Amino acid sequence: MDLREFPFYRSRLDARGVPEPWSLDDLEDYAAEHDDPFAGRVREGSRPAVALQIEATSEPPVWAALGPAELDAWAGVVSRLWRRFGLGADETIAFFDYGSNPCVLLSSSIYVSHLRRGAATRLGAHTICNDGVASMTARMLVILENVRPVGLVMRRDLVAPLAEALATHGQRGAKSLRWAAVSEVEGAAATKDADRLADVLGVPVRRLLRADAAFFVAGDCPECGQFHLDRSYRAESLGEGEIVLSAPFVGGCPAIRYRLGRGELLPAGCPLERKAVRLAW
Amino acid sequence: MTPRARVAEPFDRLDTLSSAALRRWWTGRVRRVLEIAVAELPFYAEKFAAAGFDVQRFRSLDDLDQLPTFRKQDMLAWQTERKCHRLGIERRIDRSVGETFTVSSGTIGTTFLTVNQRWRRAQGKSSARAHWWAGFRPGSPFVISAPAWHSYAAIQPYLAEFFEAPCVVVSGTYLPRYADRIVDALRRFRPRYVTMFLPMVFSILTAARRSGIEPRALFDQVEVLLVTGAPITPGMERHLKEVTGVGRISEVAGVTEGVLATSCAEGRGLHVAPDTCYIEALDPRTRQRVRPRERGSMVHCFLIPEGSVYLRYDSEDVVTIDDSECPCGLPSPRIKILGRWEHSFRLGGDTLLAYDVQLALEDGVPETVGMPFVISREGLNAGRLRLLMPEPERDAHDLAARLRGHLQARFGAAVEVVWVRDLPLQFKGVAPVLSETQIG
Repeated sequence: MDLREFPFYRSRLDARGVPEPWSLDDLEDYAAEHDDPFAGRVREGSRPAVALQIEATSEPPVWAALGPAELDAWAGVVSRLWRRFGLGADETIAFFDYGSNPCVLLSSSIYVSHLRRGAATRLGAHTICNDGVASMTARMLVILENVRPVGLVMRRDLVAPLAEALATHGQRGAKSLRWAAVSEVEGAAATKDADRLADVLGVPVRRLLRADAAFFVAGDCPECGQFHLDRSYRAESLGEGEIVLSAPFVGGCPAIRYRLGRGELLPAGCPLERKAVRLAW
Repeated sequence: MTPRARVAEPFDRLDTLSSAALRRWWTGRVRRVLEIAVAELPFYAEKFAAAGFDVQRFRSLDDLDQLPTFRKQDMLAWQTERKCHRLGIERRIDRSVGETFTVSSGTIGTTFLTVNQRWRRAQGKSSARAHWWAGFRPGSPFVISAPAWHSYAAIQPYLAEFFEAPCVVVSGTYLPRYADRIVDALRRFRPRYVTMFLPMVFSILTAARRSGIEPRALFDQVEVLLVTGAPITPGMERHLKEVTGVGRISEVAGVTEGVLATSCAEGRGLHVAPDTCYIEALDPRTRQRVRPRERGSMVHCFLIPEGSVYLRYDSEDVVTIDDSECPCGLPSPRIKILGRWEHSFRLGGDTLLAYDVQLALEDGVPETVGMPFVISREGLNAGRLRLLMPEPERDAHDLAARLRGHLQARFGAAVEVVWVRDLPLQFKGVAPVLSETQIG
């Protein structure tokens, strides 16, 4: 991959061809200045198979681009995450979030074009998505009661409505759950949000660390408490405790040296996943 | 004898059959699905045996009369009894890959549908046919505004692939606060064909104006606007053309349990996608088939034997079926889904729907086309038609008088018009019957 082919990176390259780290603000600024929905991260004239609007961007919205092989690779990351959380064949994972969250979108090949194998369905697991708005909380209870998923992945801002609904209407199908995970639009939900959901559901609740612009998702670990990085990513520690991420599996819309934020890279060695590089974030 | 019209651009050979040949095709297809249902789906094996139905004696579509019909409340009862979303109507062949579930939500509750890759291929092709009829053609970006959670979202990604179109996924969902994100998608990717839920069209237009974009400019590259979520009146079609500048407004209708129909260029109803379903219109009381173009309850057989298979399912929608020849040449009958029986009301001795009021408004008082309105439940309870409408800037008194006069003559009942300051955009084109306490 030659980053000089991508206008966004062209101006950020040093003499060795290494780009200066960048953030969502940099993408939005580029998109606004050049009126380019992909913020200069696709080759001129290219026509991506799939374009995803990055939820965390708004002024203006910025889009990411993916081809079939890249979708499949990212779905592989998500699949390994679901498996580590405990999802197995003939079990169901439920989502209480917008379908546009890549963790949802990539979980079934029904949900997005050109995805050959969904992250959950390739495990032989089933999926159901409930629209990620508070007014759909009552329906979430019906899903829990009748579909009886083993895993629930939900938006942080829906924890409170779901907690209230369960308190009012009883646990009902929540008894089938074995684990849950809470997702934030960018970054990770606070531990207190996960703890609140765990109190309500009575199951372990994991946190997801999400950075859609970098095609990144990671989950924390019940054993070591840190986020495990999938082998598909490259992480670097800059000075002053900042982490930058790269997703080498995406070539058409590169994510090289994305500023994830303050954190600390930890060596592998967690007993649950010995080879995984870990991130304290 | 006038020769049968020929389809200008048939999707495939199925589009070129005569009406009689299509009925024969349907007979064979229905029989095949019934055979699978009896052999493999415990729900139907049990129910059909209880009805004394022998699939080997199925000879014509009229033989469907021998089968019981089912409604949402029946499915909910079985769901409660089984304590499970699977009702015994789900066909699954490939057990190595997980399935995907979608929801069918209504006022009385939520049931679930199972879809899988085999379903995707078959339903995808039929949906592509329906979109072809509506005017979609290959190559243009395909915008998906609310992915994953509903049944149309389960097929849109296939359509993008089929039409060799970039798949454009908007973040968020079908809520007015996300309309600006859809506006961004339309601006950036300039699709020639757009599918949209009717209330969201108006939210999008409002969001465009807020952003300083003239609505017609937002749609200036759009050749077809395919609208769903409400029956479109001729006046609403004209209104949409006027506000968007789009040359062709198409309509798609269906139910999650497996009905699909879209309009052709002639605009005389929505052609049933024959490889998705076979539809009957039954009198809700006698359960006999109604005459062509009369209103009945929509009962359908889903004809793709994969995932959830609904047979003789009464969606309790009000439907008309027109099996006269269409000038476009397509052989499948045209339906119009006008609303739901639960939303119908009695007025002046007739059973009516909000659609009837909307039609009457635009027929008699054309300047009301595009105006949202609410039908007051309190008014109906008192035997009158009481409409809540946003007050126009001028001549409100005169307009109210004309509305009352026309509607009273039309419906033979007392009519009141109540001007309100504003009504939610979601009521535009989808007039509800509500208690005035819900309006505030």
